[in-house]
Amino acid sequence: MVVYSFYIFDRHTECIYSKRWTPSTTSNNKAVKSNALSNGNIPPAARKALSKEDDAKLIFGTVFSLKRMVRQLGGEDDSFLSYRTGEYKLHYYETPTNIKFVMLTDTKTNNLRIVLHQIWANLYVEFVVKNPLSPAEHPGGVGVSNELFELGLESFISQVLTA
Amino acid sequence: MPDIYVAACNCNGWTRRLAGLSTSAQWKGILTKIRSFTVVFTLLIINKAGGLIYNRAFDSSLAALSSNDSLILAGTFHGIHAIARNLCPPSALPSSTLSSASSTSFTSNPSASASALGTRATPATGIQVLETARFRLTCFQTVTGTKFLLFTSPEQPNVDAILRRVYELYADFVMKNPFYTTEMPVRCEKFDRGLVGFLVGAR
Repeated sequence: MVVYSFYIFDRHTECIYSKRWTPSTTSNNKAVKSNALSNGNIPPAARKALSKEDDAKLIFGTVFSLKRMVRQLGGEDDSFLSYRTGEYKLHYYETPTNIKFVMLTDTKTNNLRIVLHQIWANLYVEFVVKNPLSPAEHPGGVGVSNELFELGLESFISQVLTA
Repeated sequence: MPDIYVAACNCNGWTRRLAGLSTSAQWKGILTKIRSFTVVFTLLIINKAGGLIYNRAFDSSLAALSSNDSLILAGTFHGIHAIARNLCPPSALPSSTLSSASSTSFTSNPSASASALGTRATPATGIQVLETARFRLTCFQTVTGTKFLLFTSPEQPNVDAILRRVYELYADFVMKNPFYTTEMPVRCEKFDRGLVGFLVGAR
């Protein structure tokens, strides 16, 4: 199972945490910008020059619209779980406090809702919410990417998911 | 038709109950229970501009939308489908390995790069399946940009086969209809009858 990226959005529609993985390296990097080939063809990967912030905004907009559409069709208590395209799968989990967890993986993954719930319960609540030094709200992501949370998330993803 | 019911019951473990049934009343009692498992709710067809051209509900379990709401929903989904294509992570594109291989072999082996030039990278696709707690939405996009949205219950098997059959009906009764203008709302009685005969009976 390959994990491509992971985002956390708070209830003020802001992205408070985002992380991307590239397949060649093990630690998180920004998306590597590839150069044009010497024969003049630009590989499709180079057209994606979206920065982390643009990606996060697009993802939030998509998820918000899909959630509204699902609520309209399935009734008030229906919830959007995931969607799959030909190349990737997006998993979504929202906590009762309107914190949204989004993860992009390959298409073969099953429902990661339980995994996202675990990330929330064991990593986010433990290391971010219970941190006495972090503020109650996280405008601009302040207070979320502390060391314990990052380490915990890395080990969780590398050992539990991609093992 | 009975084969389909037996097949549906097989996967739900009801075969023993069905063996002794003889009257249609007993069939109906069982069928109302089976109905909740595998159902096709709605079919929507969206043209390549994002406009809704066909909307038909086969089961009333999903919330009924007014025609205005369905138009808005179709347009919204058309936009989200395109955005999902742009959100594709660059490492997920299958052609990324092909392009990196051809870049290293360009100077050493021109013939290999010529064959690499000939193959076109497949573009990213949009949303194909959307899962929620109550329903599953499957989207089949044709090469001409027409999207077929099928809303089914989450356990419905063979959604791809159903969509393929719907596409066949569309090609036969809508596209080959000489009085039908492309990208316009679909008003073909034969298409409706074919759909009802296929989808309502497949429950």
